[in-house]
Amino acid sequence: MSDQVIIRFEGVTKQYDQDIPVLNDVSFEIERGKFYTLLGPSGCGKTTILRLIAGFTEATQGEIYFNGNVINNVPANKRQVNTVFQDYALFPHLNVFENVAFGLRIKKTKKEEVAKKVHEALAFVNLEGYENREIREMSGGQRQRVAIARAIINEPEVILLDEPLSALDLKLRTEMQYELRELQQRLGITFIFVTHDQEEALAMSDEIFVINRGKIQQSGTPTDIYDEPINRFVADFIGESNIVKGKMLADHLVEFVGKQFDCVDQGLNPDEPVEVVIRPEDLEITTRERGKLQVRVDSQLFRGVHYEISSYDKDGNEWLVHSTKKATVGDEIGLYFDSEAIHVMRFGETEEEFDKRLEAYGDGVGNEE
Amino acid sequence: MKSKLSRNLYAIPYALWILIFVVAPIVLVLYYSFFDIEGNLSLTNYINFFTPVYLKMTLSSFWYAFLITAFTLLISYPTAFLLTKTKNKQLWLLLIIVPSWINLLLKAYAFLGIFGTYGTANSLLEVLGIGSKQILFTDFSFIFVSVYIFIPFMILPIFNALDEMSPTLLDAANDLGASAWTTFRRVIFPLTLDGVRSGCQVVFIPALSLFMLTRLISGNRVITLGTAIEQQFLVTQDWGMGSTIAVFLIIIMFVFVALTGSRKRGM
Repeated sequence: MSDQVIIRFEGVTKQYDQDIPVLNDVSFEIERGKFYTLLGPSGCGKTTILRLIAGFTEATQGEIYFNGNVINNVPANKRQVNTVFQDYALFPHLNVFENVAFGLRIKKTKKEEVAKKVHEALAFVNLEGYENREIREMSGGQRQRVAIARAIINEPEVILLDEPLSALDLKLRTEMQYELRELQQRLGITFIFVTHDQEEALAMSDEIFVINRGKIQQSGTPTDIYDEPINRFVADFIGESNIVKGKMLADHLVEFVGKQFDCVDQGLNPDEPVEVVIRPEDLEITTRERGKLQVRVDSQLFRGVHYEISSYDKDGNEWLVHSTKKATVGDEIGLYFDSEAIHVMRFGETEEEFDKRLEAYGDGVGNEE
Repeated sequence: MKSKLSRNLYAIPYALWILIFVVAPIVLVLYYSFFDIEGNLSLTNYINFFTPVYLKMTLSSFWYAFLITAFTLLISYPTAFLLTKTKNKQLWLLLIIVPSWINLLLKAYAFLGIFGTYGTANSLLEVLGIGSKQILFTDFSFIFVSVYIFIPFMILPIFNALDEMSPTLLDAANDLGASAWTTFRRVIFPLTLDGVRSGCQVVFIPALSLFMLTRLISGNRVITLGTAIEQQFLVTQDWGMGSTIAVFLIIIMFVFVALTGSRKRGM
């Protein structure tokens, strides 16, 4: 275990009563100074992980390590982490200054130092001059910043953020994504960010943990997860995908929709049934003759940057295409794609096996754009 | 213009109500307070009020009302707090409120039975080997029964204030390093202060003018302003003096409400 690891989960299970576990035997490591995102649909267990780290709830089984020490029994108020809550949880009876100063007041910090630190923290989140405002006088975005200032003033080693952007409107949310990322880099501390918004996760994180049904499905950098999803859930949850059933004939040769295609995947068993993923933006519209696939355009939506075209092949599989070129509904068109655009997923492959197989490909092929 | 007119029309019943049942009685009380027992216009009642007899009565009223409010608060706050933690909190709340639907007089008579010389309380003391005591007609019984009667009125506003509070605020305080006690002191209590204030108002003000309990439970050993007013009107037939005491009672109530009124949040 390297010094870089700050938080480690070992076989952590969380179960309420006799229900299905919210978290089921989860193990992972969090390194210092990185921006992590726990991504998953609601009820997948991502917030539970956060609450376990913060100490608001106890693990049913397994160990949680912080800086190498088990912290299962350390109460929340003694942990070196601070949380930014979904509804911000600012104290309505205190003004901005006192909200930010809350942690310092409890530590009985000297008056002058409190004033200095609060000022610094507010400057950090661009809220200078708002010290005497009441919380109800602040807008959603400003409250968000107060909550962040309140969390960073204690100089924690880890900051936990529980869907903090979900209450903001789209424009503000995008702005705050940049700001949070920049803030994390300036502070140089670990951020663990919980969200169900895949775009948010892809835009901000160093590492993403995709979680579903109390299990970590896949972890990795945003590009890894986007380009090489491990299973149908991840492929479907992150970005849009065309997923069809296929068969791996041999290394670098896969069969689907009744045709054979060159691909970059290898190390599978001959004739192994697989699922094939092709991202909509990797499909290119061309003439029927030049296309690797022939499909009929069913509908088309203008999305601003691109057209989202839904089309069906003769077997009835839907093919979603993102294209800057317009198609005509009802036309028969061809779809062209590179062999790198094909991503093959095995059924029931664990993350470990998956990583091992990917490593065998060597660098440069398939991993990067 | 039409909507303004109709709005004014709708206000008439309320204005009449307030005029007849709020303003008029106060004006009448004020009017009668300036007549002495012979029916002459004078300020003697006001001069009399500042004699030791009435001042002492006022002070003792205050003292008992204060004790009743304090004990009621002491019991109600933890109860309300525990209530919010229970699973069927609305049911428990209902059970606590139900006794307040029963007539005050009936409850007072029930306590006469319980606290009497051969009552339940004394039988219990006998069994415990302490021996029977004079419970009825003491300060203790007066305060005990008053507190019992006022508890639901104190619990309700405090319970509501606690219930409205977002539980993540407690997580937040805990997260920022606060222990359970600090969280209570710095977050929970300040946020429920409005509930405590209105609870104290609904207890303290009626407690100032309690009169039936003073006779039934404390056997007129405790004489509050309420008792004094009742006696002046019904026994002495000195409506002027009774009104004067009532005027002071009203003034005290206004002062108390003004003092305990909810202030702007955040100093």
